[in-house]
Amino acid sequence: MSFVVSPTSVDEAIAFLVDNPEARPMSGGASLVAMKNARLIEASHFVSLARIDSLRGIRRNADGSVTIGGMVPHRDTAACDLLDGDLRMIRQAAGQIANRVVRNMGTIGGAVANADPAADYLPVLVCADAQVEITGPGGKRLLPIRDYLVDWYETALEPAEIVTGIALPPAGSGPSVYRKLARTPGDFATVSVACARDGDGVRVAVGACGPAPLRAPEAERALAGQLDDPAAVAAFCEALVALADPVDDVRGSAEYRLTLIPRMVAAAIRDVTGGL
Amino acid sequence: MAGKEVFALRINGREREVFARSDATLLEVLRDDLALRAAKRGCNQGVCGACTVLLDGVPVRGCLTLAGACTGREVTTLEGLAEDPITRALQETMIVSGGVQCGFCTSGMLVTARDLVAQTVTPTEGDIRKALSGNLCRCTGYVRIVEAVTDAVVALSQANTDTREAIQ
Ligand SMILES: Cc1cc2nc3c(=O)[nH]c(=O)nc-3n(C[C@H](O)[C@H](O)[C@H](O)COP(=O)(O)OP(=O)(O)OC[C@H]3O[C@@H](n4cnc5c(N)ncnc54)[C@H](O)[C@@H]3O)c2cc1C
Repeated sequence: MSFVVSPTSVDEAIAFLVDNPEARPMSGGASLVAMKNARLIEASHFVSLARIDSLRGIRRNADGSVTIGGMVPHRDTAACDLLDGDLRMIRQAAGQIANRVVRNMGTIGGAVANADPAADYLPVLVCADAQVEITGPGGKRLLPIRDYLVDWYETALEPAEIVTGIALPPAGSGPSVYRKLARTPGDFATVSVACARDGDGVRVAVGACGPAPLRAPEAERALAGQLDDPAAVAAFCEALVALADPVDDVRGSAEYRLTLIPRMVAAAIRDVTGGL
Repeated sequence: MAGKEVFALRINGREREVFARSDATLLEVLRDDLALRAAKRGCNQGVCGACTVLLDGVPVRGCLTLAGACTGREVTTLEGLAEDPITRALQETMIVSGGVQCGFCTSGMLVTARDLVAQTVTPTEGDIRKALSGNLCRCTGYVRIVEAVTDAVVALSQANTDTREAIQ
C-alpha cells in the first residue's frame, strides 16, 4: 500500500480515513508536508484530495449563494469574478497569501482545516458569515465558521471528516476590503482586518489577535447609521480591542497588536465608506 | 510507516521509475535518485524557494510536494527548461548583471521568474519583486536579480519585434 493514496471521490476518501485512523487528509500539502519534513507529525498515509473533481471550482448556486470547493487553490480564488461586492475582500485576502508559488499549492479547504489564527482567509470568512461544508462518515453538515473555529488551532472537525467547501451568502453590493499588516509582503499577518459595508453599517472581523477572528455583533449594530461619527467609530474599535487576546511573537508584541487594531479598523471603515 | 515503493514519474518529458521511500518528497527523488540537482534543498519548509519546479506547468515547491502525488503528472525542472527561450534570456541577463553570486537560489529564481515573464506582458519592478518575494537570496540584495529580469523582458520583447519584422 502506498503512503500517498489518491481517491477520486469524497466517499472513498472518507471510507479510507475511517479504516485508517492514523491517516491524514492532504490538500496541497503546503503545511502538511512542511510538518512532516520537520518531523512534527506521524501518519500512516496521506490521503490526497487532489483527484476528487467535486472539490474543484467556485460556483454560484440557484439562490445566489457562492460555494468555493475545498481544493480550490488561492490563485484561483484571487482571480474569481464571482467574488464581488461584499465578497470582494475574499479575493483580496487570497491574493495576499504568501507568494505566487505557494498560492498555486495552498487551498481554501486546507487553510480552513489548518485554522492558523494568522491565516488570511479566516477574518474574511468570518466577516462574510461563511459556512464551512463538512463531510464525514455521518454525511454532510454546514457549520457557521464562528462555531467551526473552536480554539487555538482547534476546529469542530471530527475524525474522518473533511472540509469539502466553503458556502458564502449571496454577494451584497458592498464594498468590502481586506487590510493586512505584515512585516514583509508574503509573511503571515501581524494583524489583519476584514470589513464589509452592510446597509448603513459595517461587519468587521480582526485576524491574528486571538484564537479566532474577533467579531463584535452588538457593537456593529450600535455603529449602524453612525459611520461618519468619529466617536462612534472609536467606541466600536474599543469593543474589538476588548475582545482581543493577542500573543507576543516574532511578528509583533501583544501590545503592538492592541495598538494596531483601532487604527486598522478605522482605516478599513473609511475604505468602505469612501470617507463619509 | 515509510517503507519503499516504486514511483512511475514523468520528468522533463521522460518516463522515469524510481524506488524510494514511500513518503519521499519530489525534491528528494529528483536530487537523490535522479541526480537532477538544479532544484536545491534549502529550508525544506517551502519558505526559501530554492526547490521550485513545475508541476503540470505550474510552479510549486519541490520540498512540499510528495513524489507519490506526482504520478500521472508532468514534472519539469530547470534542467528541462534548458531550451526554453524565456529561461535562456533570463540566464543570460543573470550572468551579465551579476545576479548570481553563490548560486544556491538561482535555479528557483529562474523557474519562478520564467513563470512571471511567461504570464505577464510587461511586468513592472513591483511585479518582479512581488513574484520573487518567495525566493530568498542571501548574497545579492536582490537589486541585480530584479535588473536581470527587467533586462530579460526587454530583450525578449526586442526579439519578438525582430521576429515579427522578419516575418513581415
Ligand atoms: C511558505 C509559506 C507561506 C505561507 N504564508 C501564508 C500567509 O501569508 N497567509 C496565509 O493565510 N497562509 C499562508 N500559508 C499557508 C498556506 O497558504 C496554506 O493555506 C496552508 O499551508 C494550507 O495548505 P494546504 O491547502 O496545502 O493544506 P495541507 O497542507 O494539505 O493541509 C493542512 C492541514 O489540514 C488538513 N487538511 C487538509 N485538507 C483538509 C480538508 N479538506 N479537510 C480536513 N482537513 C484537511 C491536513 O491534514 C493538515 O493537517 C503559507 C504557507 C507556506 C508554506
